[in-house]
Amino acid sequence: MTSSASWTNEWMEMQQKYWLNWADASQRLFGQQTTPAAAWGNAMENWWQTLAPATGSDMARGFMDKMVEQGKFFFQMAEDLAGKMQGAAGQGDWTSALENATASLKDAFSRLGAGDPSVHKMFAFWELPFDNWQRMASSLSLVPGDVLRNMPTEGMRSKLDRVLGAPGLGYTREEQGQYQELGRAVVDYQETLAEYLGFFSKMGVGSVERLQWLVKEAEQKKRTIGSARALYDMWVQCCEAEYADRVMTDEYTELHGRLVNALMRVKQRMSVIVDEYLGAMNMPTRRELRTLQDRVQEARRETKRLRSELDALKKQLAAGATPASPATAKPARPAAPRKKAAVKTRGTR
Amino acid sequence: MLPIEIRPDQLADEMLQYSQKLGKGIENLLNASEIDAGVSPKTAVYREDKLALYRYEAPAGAKQRNAVPLLVVYALVNRPYMTDIQEDRSTIKGLLATGQDVYLIDWGYPDQADRSLTLDDYLNGYLDRCVDFIREAHGLDRINLLGICQGGAFSLCYSAMHPGKVQNLVTMVTPVDFKTADNMLSGWVQHLDVDLLVDTMGNIPGELLNWTFLSLKPFSLTGQKYVNMVDLLDDPEKVKNFLRMEKWIFDSPDQAGETFRQFIKDFYQKNGLIEGTVHIGGHRIDLKDVTCPILNIYALQDHLVPPNSSKALKGRTGSKDYTELAFPGGHIGIYVSGKAQKEVTPSIGRWLNERS
Repeated sequence: MTSSASWTNEWMEMQQKYWLNWADASQRLFGQQTTPAAAWGNAMENWWQTLAPATGSDMARGFMDKMVEQGKFFFQMAEDLAGKMQGAAGQGDWTSALENATASLKDAFSRLGAGDPSVHKMFAFWELPFDNWQRMASSLSLVPGDVLRNMPTEGMRSKLDRVLGAPGLGYTREEQGQYQELGRAVVDYQETLAEYLGFFSKMGVGSVERLQWLVKEAEQKKRTIGSARALYDMWVQCCEAEYADRVMTDEYTELHGRLVNALMRVKQRMSVIVDEYLGAMNMPTRRELRTLQDRVQEARRETKRLRSELDALKKQLAAGATPASPATAKPARPAAPRKKAAVKTRGTR
Repeated sequence: MLPIEIRPDQLADEMLQYSQKLGKGIENLLNASEIDAGVSPKTAVYREDKLALYRYEAPAGAKQRNAVPLLVVYALVNRPYMTDIQEDRSTIKGLLATGQDVYLIDWGYPDQADRSLTLDDYLNGYLDRCVDFIREAHGLDRINLLGICQGGAFSLCYSAMHPGKVQNLVTMVTPVDFKTADNMLSGWVQHLDVDLLVDTMGNIPGELLNWTFLSLKPFSLTGQKYVNMVDLLDDPEKVKNFLRMEKWIFDSPDQAGETFRQFIKDFYQKNGLIEGTVHIGGHRIDLKDVTCPILNIYALQDHLVPPNSSKALKGRTGSKDYTELAFPGGHIGIYVSGKAQKEVTPSIGRWLNERS
């Protein structure tokens, strides 16, 4: 900890000098290719990559990753928009500058919906909901969520339909059939995923329009957005508002259902195939385990019911076969036994 | 004057400050490796399978205890330590301070061996045995119940099935009408093939639930929240509090498949709690069978259980003593905010003490 602390202090001093230089030369540097935000992002990345391995806590690492990532995003965004606005200020036409800046954002969102991978990184922030889905899908799958996302979809359905529709032949025809089912499920999932992403790109365009509107409103009310953080907060507000409106629509709820269902069909087909292999190797299959789980649960219920009845009978005997007191009378199920043990346990874990 | 005016030198200065906060904060973040949760002393008094029933110790100098104990029934989703998350933000502590004798059910973490557990197993099995244990320990016919979120829906069902065992019922942020227009979660599950989901997954993974909850406000909950945290990094106590909450958010137990199947289909998709179509272990759940006094507490900014979903309880039960309490906060804030400690728990305590 001491060494990382001193490392941090040295880095902080170095950073301070670095940014003072940036501030002095800001006007000159702003138009250059290496922008302050990009340089900041690189500096943060380098600092954190060096320090991260020394941190013992996964949780701390995870947080710092997120804070650095979000920091990079909002400085980059502020720099892009503010830069364009400043540029236009000289010409006295900031509304056109705003239109241009937001038009390029909208265009990028459209490309995102069309599956252009080059814009994924640029829109890492806006992809947060989608990214959450990818992480979740990966955690439930043998393959990373991204694998299916980046496969081409256009025209794939018609080509694959022929292959996947061909009847199986010979000794392995059933196995061929299983793989064809899996193939169809994967194509379905992939198409639904592309549709989901397309929906999100439309939301992105809507968010940009909201931002545009808020900026214009700020101008009318003579307010100035004077920091990267304020702009970022405004952007989050626009995204959340647009998202909240759209995800309550029938279109989205139906798509959401189809996406989860499509992923489940892929998983289900995989499970069937895995079960076939396990059975062939004379190992317990998932199907068999579930049958056992159901039977064990039924036996647990029965045991608990019998134990409760036994306890109630014991109590009645102990009370000289007099009727049970109200506190122990249980019409539906017999009461738990009266024991004064510190911790009473029943059942198995 | 431009509406967006961030000069390069201002931007550079802002970046410097952000970096400095991160640099200074890393120490606090790394030092906060051990995150504790659940602060009030308690004893496990009953265990069954993965369930534990805890009884909280009365604080020193506490006023005389309410003779009727209070059982807190938490949801199966997430973990019950939310109610006792830190020293100065604890619903449990607040309840103890009002003289309640507090018990709490921890349902544990179901695994595949628990896949076949049904709502009947949970309510007429585990919950009923916990209630009986407490009734017997105190020599009482009836005890008080406090149901939280899904646990509130469970408590309503339980009170309808076993009216003779419940003295008073408190429901907190409890969904009753599962199909109000503003219920985002409900909208999302309407087209879900729940049978396919449960048949495929067995138990429903906590990751799927986490994703669903984060998706309610994805930009705030997975992005902006961490930027806000940068401002707190210089305060070790705030860092620890933040991490404690973060631990809770992602501490999502898997859901027993059969229970999830029934809950989503009967409650969310068919809105069976208010339609009277839910059947649990041979009982048809009729809210009119809930006859005990009810205190229904909802949060006005709740994005998980919209207020209208909770308020739907009014007039639907057989209770002649129904009270509502609106809290100006969110689904989590109702347990952990400073305002909740001052308003919500004292109100619950007063309401119970007047009726026990």
